[in-house]
Amino acid sequence: MQRVDRGRLRTALRRLRARPLDGLVSGGLILLIGWVIFSSLHWLLTAADWSVVSVNMPLYAVGSYPIDQRWRPLLWMVLLLLLTGWTLFGPRRGWLRRTLPALWMAMVPLGVVLLAGGLGLMPVGSRNWGGLTLTLLLTVGSGVLALPLGVLLALGRQSPLPVLRYSSGAYIETMRAVPLIAVLFFGQLLIPLFLPMGFEINRVLRAVIAFALFAGAYIAEDVRGGLQAIPPTQLEAAAVLGLSPLQSLQLIVLPQALRIALPALTNQAVGLLQNTSLMAILGLVELLGISRSLLANPEFIGRYLEVYVWLAAVYWLICTAMALLARHLEIQLDPIRSTSSFNNT
Amino acid sequence: MTVAIRATDLVKSYTPGLRALDGVSLEVSSGEVLVVMGPSGSGKSTLIRTFNGLEVLDEGELDVLGCRLDADHDEQQVRAIRKRVGMVFQQFNLFPHLSIVENITLAPIKVQKRSKQEAEQRAIALLDQMGIREQARKYPAQLSGGQQQRVAIARALALDPEVMLFDEPTSALDPERVKEVLDAMRQLAQGGMTMVVVTHELGFAREVADRVMFMDEGQVVETSDPQTFFTNAREERSRKFLNQMQH
Repeated sequence: MQRVDRGRLRTALRRLRARPLDGLVSGGLILLIGWVIFSSLHWLLTAADWSVVSVNMPLYAVGSYPIDQRWRPLLWMVLLLLLTGWTLFGPRRGWLRRTLPALWMAMVPLGVVLLAGGLGLMPVGSRNWGGLTLTLLLTVGSGVLALPLGVLLALGRQSPLPVLRYSSGAYIETMRAVPLIAVLFFGQLLIPLFLPMGFEINRVLRAVIAFALFAGAYIAEDVRGGLQAIPPTQLEAAAVLGLSPLQSLQLIVLPQALRIALPALTNQAVGLLQNTSLMAILGLVELLGISRSLLANPEFIGRYLEVYVWLAAVYWLICTAMALLARHLEIQLDPIRSTSSFNNT
Repeated sequence: MTVAIRATDLVKSYTPGLRALDGVSLEVSSGEVLVVMGPSGSGKSTLIRTFNGLEVLDEGELDVLGCRLDADHDEQQVRAIRKRVGMVFQQFNLFPHLSIVENITLAPIKVQKRSKQEAEQRAIALLDQMGIREQARKYPAQLSGGQQQRVAIARALALDPEVMLFDEPTSALDPERVKEVLDAMRQLAQGGMTMVVVTHELGFAREVADRVMFMDEGQVVETSDPQTFFTNAREERSRKFLNQMQH
């Protein structure tokens, strides 16, 4: 083993300096990389002052939520974490597994109720929601709304009814032609106009709806890719067995199409998370919003690098968790891989 | 003997002026095995696909188990026929995301509203009959072509059909896998099932068929008992086809 490794190292070294110019370029690059690593570590360990992050940890977690009520957003995030863990490491078969989609969907109304109050909880206005809680609520909420919308739009686009087909197509094309930030501004300004007088809708919900309307168009195209990958003979087989069109859609087409679309849908989910940072421009204090307001505070002036490095790390962590969930789902939905891992455990 | 399928002057064209079916009439009695042969593009597949409404007729009229099908393509009648007529495809068309047992029990549970337990028992019995009981918990991609086609037969049988349609059931199989599928079909024929089989398997036609129908260019060239067809076909076109097939 050792000998093989040494042989490989030798081969690598030989390749790096095969010709004089190669040696020069390799050497230069190695020096450059070394210098970047050294200066980064130097900054991280000696120059960086992390107090801006550590002092404001509660703000990053829950925003300016009333101190005695902080358990509510924290409880929601803990439940979200538990559900993630349950999805990843919980039972792989049976009714407990089948309730998972419903549980994920229930997280959104649960989060809204916990944060907003009512039902015996003290009401807390949406301007006090913030930080990681708000980022997660925006992501999960818009994702859970956008997925069914996207599936419906994709089906509409393939419908034999021209009215449905053209209106779905027009919706998708329009939404894709408008920048997200414009959709978000429209959402904040227009949604209240459509509501009856005196009916106020929370601005976080407005953002979630605008997000979902936007993401739905993109998800529709990913789902359409999955739908088109299903051979028409599958529909014939279902029809010949006497399944109704609705049954064959629900039992044969969608399970296969969504599995095929899953990698693209994961992309959308990660994009959704990243795009929630645009809400900072609209004055919502999610992760980026909190960071901006902290940087405006004279106490933490000039701590840009610390704040943004920390922010990057947090986003990276959430994205990694999402990627893990997605990969797990891909294996789960692949009948052969999931049964073989099931048999092994 | 009662008539299971009666076709009168069926016409079907995919492109104007080119008739895939050009005035086809035939009768299949219940309990009979009819083998349909003919060169590719002769309309054999189109013909049996009209029997359960997968193809919509342009003209003519079908009576399948007492249900009427014609150019109007009444959705109710089509559903009624499909519940009583099973079909096996050339490419098996199993559902890849469902296990073998789930493939077979899907329609009995969802369409016939049978209990899951009852449907599974029946599925296992059918797999046993097909000689692939041990594959029950696997997925289609893990089976050979011959095994998949036997699952497809079991899936169709699970609905207790009165007529079975086979559309070139062995054409997509490796040669060494053909026999196991034909044996399953032979067994079915011995059990008295009404069958319409589109196939190029001369041996199967000779041994199992009650009648052989030869088609060419959307028309029925001749219908004979296998003895006559294979030794002394009436039509020149049939003899030419058989001659080509045997080389």
